[in-house]
Amino acid sequence: MARFAVPVGLLAFCAIAFWLSTQFDRVPPILLRGMQPEHFPQLVVILIAALAVCVMVFDPVVEQQRRPARMVWISMGLFAVFALLAQVDLFLGLGVFAGALALCWGERRPWALALVAVVGPAFVFFLFDQVFEIRFPRGLLTNLWYG
Amino acid sequence: MDALFGGLAALADPGLLFLIFLATLGGVVIGALPGLNATTGAALMLPFTITMDPIAAIAILTTIYCAATFAGAITAILINTPGTSASATTCLDGYPLAQRGEAGRALGMATISSTFGGILSVLCLMAAAPLLARMAYNFAPPEYFALTVFGISMLATIGNGTPMRNIIAGLLGILLATVGKDLLTTVERFTFGFNELSEGIGFVPVMIGIFGISELLVQAETLAVEKRRVIMKAIKLPSRDDYRKVWRTILRSSGIGTFIGILPAEGATVASMIGYNEARRWSKTPEEFGKGAIEGIAGSEAANNSATGGAMVPTLALGIPGSPTAAVILAGLMVHGLQPGPTMFTDQSHFAYAIFWAMLLVNVMFIFVGLFGAKLFARVAFIPIPILWPIVFTFSIVGAYALDQSMLDVWIAIGAGIVGYFMRRFGYSVVPLAIGLILGGMLEKRLGQSLIMLDDQWWLMFTRPLALLFFVLTFLALFGPFLWKRFVKRPSAAATRE
Repeated sequence: MARFAVPVGLLAFCAIAFWLSTQFDRVPPILLRGMQPEHFPQLVVILIAALAVCVMVFDPVVEQQRRPARMVWISMGLFAVFALLAQVDLFLGLGVFAGALALCWGERRPWALALVAVVGPAFVFFLFDQVFEIRFPRGLLTNLWYG
Repeated sequence: MDALFGGLAALADPGLLFLIFLATLGGVVIGALPGLNATTGAALMLPFTITMDPIAAIAILTTIYCAATFAGAITAILINTPGTSASATTCLDGYPLAQRGEAGRALGMATISSTFGGILSVLCLMAAAPLLARMAYNFAPPEYFALTVFGISMLATIGNGTPMRNIIAGLLGILLATVGKDLLTTVERFTFGFNELSEGIGFVPVMIGIFGISELLVQAETLAVEKRRVIMKAIKLPSRDDYRKVWRTILRSSGIGTFIGILPAEGATVASMIGYNEARRWSKTPEEFGKGAIEGIAGSEAANNSATGGAMVPTLALGIPGSPTAAVILAGLMVHGLQPGPTMFTDQSHFAYAIFWAMLLVNVMFIFVGLFGAKLFARVAFIPIPILWPIVFTFSIVGAYALDQSMLDVWIAIGAGIVGYFMRRFGYSVVPLAIGLILGGMLEKRLGQSLIMLDDQWWLMFTRPLALLFFVLTFLALFGPFLWKRFVKRPSAAATRE
């Protein structure tokens, strides 16, 4: 099954991408120079689909049959937590993500957890804010600095 | 000549020299850190260079490229874990030498070979890039289109994937490059109503995602791996006997590395493998290889470092990345509004030569960093993964946000990271995706210009000798290995059996 899963997924992706490309605005022929805007993406999509079929037939999966480790799924779950917390404050999300990731990956020393969850994000914030003059989105924590 | 010295003058700023020194140290740390390599390091550093002067920005990125490629040897020799894939062959002889108590000698040889290979390749770059650019100056859109197609065809052979999967990954990158306004018709494509996507998907968040965040997920699978360090007393310069034994190997591997680097998309990893194999093939004592042959270290390290200079030749002269890290540097050039290609050597020649001088300088710095700091930098490899990667993630996310100050870029980086992780799991290298994204816009633009120029008669491209040559090379790059197997290898195998 693994042999077909990725190519079939690619074919489904190609079908959606091709359909989306048919929805692009078209340039009236009298104004057109070169290609219509959908032609190039469609050419690429067709090539991907053709190669996906070739992979299915000639290039079976031989590596990585086992499932991703549990820790990978946990890490991806933490991405979701980050995405939610970033709505409140980007750096709150980063701090919680970094601390939780370190904890899940086996770090138990308080100073190390504080380093990745508090010192790291704070350092990065001030580095980008003060040195590179990057303005971050306002949030619960950044408002303390921006006022 | 003016440009040559102009470039040197541009680099003579003490502040910039200090930045290059810091970038050398940073590059060495990146090369020694587990899971980070020159490409990831350059991608992570890209946001830091946004506000800098373009010369400083690109000098820093190229410095990281050279330094991280070199530093992979430190961990390869001391803990049998190549800091970068380009140093994988260095493990074969470096670690056995270290186990015999000769870690200092192995590191000394790696430093000298890397320095020599790097300097030779930069000298080649200084000579070859302007010549190549002059040749390409008269290219019309059909020639450029054919050249870009050839560059993309070379993706078939890079990374860990099979040729077909690499090309699929490259095409996915090209498809991503079509997001946003079409350059010729200004029609919006695949933007889903997001105004931020009108200008297309940014290189920086995608690079950070597929190289940095996907590596975080890969690292999640390696938490249980234990590293053992070999005790090293002091770094020793190779003896006169060692030099006598390896000078031919260093010269040969430097030539091989520079040549491999010049080929579009081929990088230091391929160079080091070929350099190592050739060192063994020409050696008087091939049986020592894999057991601690000093020639093995020289062959691998001279080749992988010389590939860095070689890779910058097509990157700067033609705008076709010579390696994965060169693709990130190319993205850096574009972010700064610079268009690599022949015009760089006419309109911005000081800039091009400043990059050459920076690369030359960093290769000289290796000697000091390598000989005096290797012991210290080897410790970097022991930074616990649970501390390192959360910090890398913080930098990645803020870096992705910083360029356009858009949260959409953050989500793109995370999405690219997850996609990149699954691509890697299923044998699809992420490098072609990155290169496809960079070259995609160029490819479509040149195809459109060619069609306008040839009055929609695309087949006329095949009547232009240079374009035809590139198309033939493309065909050979894609189907050559298959045809070789089918028509050359099989009959010879049959003849052997007879």
